[in-house]
Amino acid sequence: MNARRMLGFTRRMLLQFRHDRRTLGFVIGMPLLMMLAFGYTFGGEVSHVKVDIVNLDSGIPSVPMFSGNRTVGNRVIDKLNRDTLELTASTDWEASKGKVDRNEAWAAIRFQPDFSQDFLLSANATPGALPARIEIYIDGSSPNIAQTVLKVVTNAYLAAINKITEETGQSARKIPIEPDISYAYGGGDTKFIDYFAPAIMSMAIMMVTTMLTIILFVYERRSGTLQRLLVSPATASEIVFGYALAFAVLGLLQSLVILFAAMLIFNITVVGNIAVALLVILLLAFVHQGLGILLSASAKNELQAIQFIPLVLFPSILLAGMFWPVESIPQFLQPVSYCVPLRYGIDAMRSVMLRGWGLEHIWPQVLVLVLMACLTLGGAVLQLRRRK
Amino acid sequence: MAAIETGRLVKKFGKFTAVDNLDLKIEEGETYGLLGPNGSGKTTAIKMICGLLRPTFGSVKVLGRAMPSGEVLSSIGYMPQDVAVYIDNTVHENLELFASLYGMTPARFREREREMLDFVDLAGWRDDLASTLSGGMRHRLSLACALLHEPRLLILDEPTVGVDPELRASFWEYFDKLGEKGITVVITTHYMDEAGHCQKVGLLRQGRLIAEGDPEELMKKHGKRSLEDVFLEVARRGAE
Repeated sequence: MNARRMLGFTRRMLLQFRHDRRTLGFVIGMPLLMMLAFGYTFGGEVSHVKVDIVNLDSGIPSVPMFSGNRTVGNRVIDKLNRDTLELTASTDWEASKGKVDRNEAWAAIRFQPDFSQDFLLSANATPGALPARIEIYIDGSSPNIAQTVLKVVTNAYLAAINKITEETGQSARKIPIEPDISYAYGGGDTKFIDYFAPAIMSMAIMMVTTMLTIILFVYERRSGTLQRLLVSPATASEIVFGYALAFAVLGLLQSLVILFAAMLIFNITVVGNIAVALLVILLLAFVHQGLGILLSASAKNELQAIQFIPLVLFPSILLAGMFWPVESIPQFLQPVSYCVPLRYGIDAMRSVMLRGWGLEHIWPQVLVLVLMACLTLGGAVLQLRRRK
Repeated sequence: MAAIETGRLVKKFGKFTAVDNLDLKIEEGETYGLLGPNGSGKTTAIKMICGLLRPTFGSVKVLGRAMPSGEVLSSIGYMPQDVAVYIDNTVHENLELFASLYGMTPARFREREREMLDFVDLAGWRDDLASTLSGGMRHRLSLACALLHEPRLLILDEPTVGVDPELRASFWEYFDKLGEKGITVVITTHYMDEAGHCQKVGLLRQGRLIAEGDPEELMKKHGKRSLEDVFLEVARRGAE
C-alpha cells in the first residue's frame, strides 16, 4: 500500500469540507443534536401528569390521628409525588371522571367518606372488614402514563401506611388499602404496540412524505423539469397540490398496510373510526409535503437534501410523544413540541384508535394540522412562484 | 406584433453582469438564433424571456404581453438546456404529462404522440423508462415534450448539444419546417455553423449583443466566410 497515494484521498476528502461548510456543520452538529435530543427524552421521567383528586374521607373524629387534616385520605394524598403528578382537587366524582373522559386529566382518584374508617377496621383485621378502597379512574390509552400513575399511588399509600405504623407502633396485619381501578379508555390489557401503532403510522407518513418530497423537488430543480413546468400553463398551486394528492394516495396505502399488519400480526385494538384516522394521515402528508418542498429550496443537491432528514426526523420522533409521553419531555423542551406537527398527528391518531374518539373530540388537533398544512403548502406555492 | 421584445434587459448576479442592456426584437414567424460561447448570457436571457428569472432592469414582452404572464404560457414551447425529463417515467408517461398540462384531448394527444415519437425517432422506446435511454435520446424526448402541443413560439435552449450530427441535421430540417408554418423559433446555440438555418442571428458576448442580422449579410459585411470568424472579429474589435 502506498501511503502517499492513500493520504492523497484523505486530504482530498477533508479539503472538500472547506468548500462545503454545511456538510461539515452536519457532521459535527448532528451528533450533538442527537445526544441532546436522546439524552433529554430518554433520561426524562414522566412528569406533570394531571390527576384530579376527590377526597371525601371524613376521617374518624374520635381518633385524633385520623381526624382533621390527618385523615388517611389526606395522608395518602400528602405522599403523592408532586414531581410526577400535577394534582387538582374536586368534590364532584362525575365531573372528575368527565375530565378523564375528555383527556383534561389522565386520572381521577376518589377517597370515599368512610375511607379512614375502613382503613382502621381492615388494619385491625376486624372480621368481615375489607381494605379501604382508593378508586382510580384512569385513561389507559397510554400504558406508560397509566403505569406511572398507579405506581405513584401505590407508593403513596404504602408510605402512608408506614408512617401510620411508625406513629402507632403497631404494624397492620395485612395491607389495609387496595386500589380499585377502572379504565376510561384502553384497559389493563392495553399493550405497548396498541399505543405505538398509531405513532408508527404517523411517523411513517412523516418520513416517507418529507424524504420523498425533498428528494423529488431537488431533482425537479436540478434536472430542469421544474423550470419547464413553470413555463407551462401549470400554476405553482397545481404543481404543489398535484403532488400533494399523489403523496396522499401513497400515505393512505402505506397506512392501511401498517394498520392491517398491526391488526393481523400483533392483534392491536382499534376502537375508533379508521376513516377519521386516515383523515389525520392525509393532513400529516400535506403538512410534510409542504415542508419538504420548502426545505428542498435550500438544498443544492441530493447530498444536502439528505441532511435535512435527521433534522426533521429527530425532533419529530423525540418531541412528539412517540415513544414516551410528551409529559416526560423536560419542561423547557415542551413548548418546542407544540411546533412539531407529528405531536398533533400522534395525539389525534391515538385518540381515534385507542379512545374511539371522532372529529367532535379531535377537532383541535385537526385544526392545528389544517393550519400547518395551509402554512407549509402555501409557503411552498409562494416559494415556487418566487423568481430569482 | 413582435413575438419577443426586450428593452435594455439587464441581469446581475451580485457584481457579475450576466446580461447587459439586451435589446432584442424577434418578429413572429422568424427563426432566430442567439449565438455565443458558453457563459455569454444566452441561457440567462432565455430564462428572463420565459419569466423564470426576474430582470435586474429592463422589460420583456412575449407575444405582446409583459412577462411573466400566465396567458402566453400555453403558446410557448420551452426546452431547457438540461435534459428536463422524468427519468423514472416512461417516454409515453412523460409526453402524457405535458399533454395534460396543455389541455390536449386524448385523441389529439395520441395523434401528436405518434408524430413526435416518429420525429425524434423514439417510437420503439415509447414504453421504456427514460432512465434507460441514452443522453441523446433523452434530449430528443425533451424536445418532443416541448413540441407536443404545437406552440406558436418555440424557445429552445441549446437543443442540439449531445445530439449526433445526423439527428442534428434532422432537427434543423424540422425547425425549418416549423418556421415555414409561421411558428417563431428561438434557438440558442454555441455551434456557429448551425446559424445558417436562422433568418436572423444575434451574437452575444459577455452578456452584450455585439452583432445582429441576417447570417449571410453579417458575413458579407465583415468580409468573413463563417459566423465564427465574424464573432471573433467583432469580439476583437470590442476588446480594443
